[in-house]
Amino acid sequence: MTTLLSNRLDMFARRCFPVLAGIFFVLISTVPYYIPGFGPVVPNVVLIAVFFWVIHHAEFVPTATVFFIGLLLDILSGAPPGINAATLVLVRTLLVMQSKVFRGKSFLLLWWGFSLVAFLVGLVIWALSAFYHMILLNPLPIIFQMLMTITIFPFFSWVFAKLHQKFLPID
Amino acid sequence: MNRLRGFTEIGLSTSMKVLIHRFSFLFFVLAAFGILLFSKADTLVVEKVSTTVVDVFSPLMSAVSEPAAAINNAVDKVHELANIREQNAVLRRENERLLVWKTKAERLSAQNKSLQTLLNFKPDAGLKSITARVIANSGGAFIRSVVVNTGKSKGVRKGQAAVAGAGLVGRVASSGYQSARVLLITDINSRVPVLVGQERDRAILRGDNTFMPHLRFLPANASVELGDNVVTSGHGGVFPPGLKIGKIIKDSEGGFRVMPTVIFERLEFLRLIDFLPKSPENHTPYDRSIETKANFQ
Repeated sequence: MTTLLSNRLDMFARRCFPVLAGIFFVLISTVPYYIPGFGPVVPNVVLIAVFFWVIHHAEFVPTATVFFIGLLLDILSGAPPGINAATLVLVRTLLVMQSKVFRGKSFLLLWWGFSLVAFLVGLVIWALSAFYHMILLNPLPIIFQMLMTITIFPFFSWVFAKLHQKFLPID
Repeated sequence: MNRLRGFTEIGLSTSMKVLIHRFSFLFFVLAAFGILLFSKADTLVVEKVSTTVVDVFSPLMSAVSEPAAAINNAVDKVHELANIREQNAVLRRENERLLVWKTKAERLSAQNKSLQTLLNFKPDAGLKSITARVIANSGGAFIRSVVVNTGKSKGVRKGQAAVAGAGLVGRVASSGYQSARVLLITDINSRVPVLVGQERDRAILRGDNTFMPHLRFLPANASVELGDNVVTSGHGGVFPPGLKIGKIIKDSEGGFRVMPTVIFERLEFLRLIDFLPKSPENHTPYDRSIETKANFQ
């Protein structure tokens, strides 16, 4: 009985992990870094986290979780609410549809795939922001932000891989 | 027969899963678009929900931002130590210059006082300010705002001017109980009525998400020069008059922009100025213009 309960608690904790990690990375995204010029191009760490976990454990990050993480990012960052939520839900669906392409493949292919996803995300965020403000926005900040995100992808995917091994069950 | 039923059940459950999967995608994408459109239509409800969420998360944001602030302070201290001799020489020169100005200021202040008595002039009430620490940055490509760790509990309210050092940073866009969001003057939604140069020409400072906001609606006969100071005009009753914003520069297209005094990425503490607007009859017709009101309320 105790073993069963502890197993269930263990599974519950593991299922909660991507959500808690998602919230943590949302908070990390809003930290003031005090580096001149860095503010508008802070890498989108939440996108890396969602990409990584959807590819490796899509069942632990359901669409609802991704939606609420995106919405939280919108609210805490002061963005028009719904932009990141819609974008992350689109990313999750796209990755689930293409999971066979990425799963078990080399890191370089993963990085290449992420780069494509990041530019797609940049395009969607730019289009939705322009639609929201009803003005043609300069796309340079989002291009730089996505380039930064792609550049730091290897480091964060290494961190996520370590966390993944520690907290999530192996397939 | 049983086998066939088994297969049918498996097929049904799989198709159900696919249906639920497709439905959830559609549902959440539509929900996100719905929220986006609703936030455009009814800003009050969305603002209330957003400030509540930011309030709930503000202790966590504050805790996460502490290490970054500590590192920043340490780096600053090392930097200061490295330049201490050079800085000392600069400060000595500046002190000598300021002493001359102090004498002039004292003389002008006494003269000003006696002239005010002669004219029976009523000065503005002293401004009260609330100090707040920046706990979060917008971190987005198309937003320029910060969150501070003080809210309604300490008297922070929507519309208050935010100042760092001697320069204007922005205004409080929304205030929760223990946190508030400050919209920076560089944000695309920011409009500030300003006075330019010695001639005190009126204009509107419009943010466009770049580091240097645009100067718009300058009179045709304005005599603006590069390096002129730009200060708040106080029109519209949102910002106190005379807050320094920055200096005039020219962009590649020949338009005027303002190089702000404040470095927005280095913001650590802000002063939120409790400025009570004067009664409406004191405002000029220009102050009641739709443009100014729409952007500040």
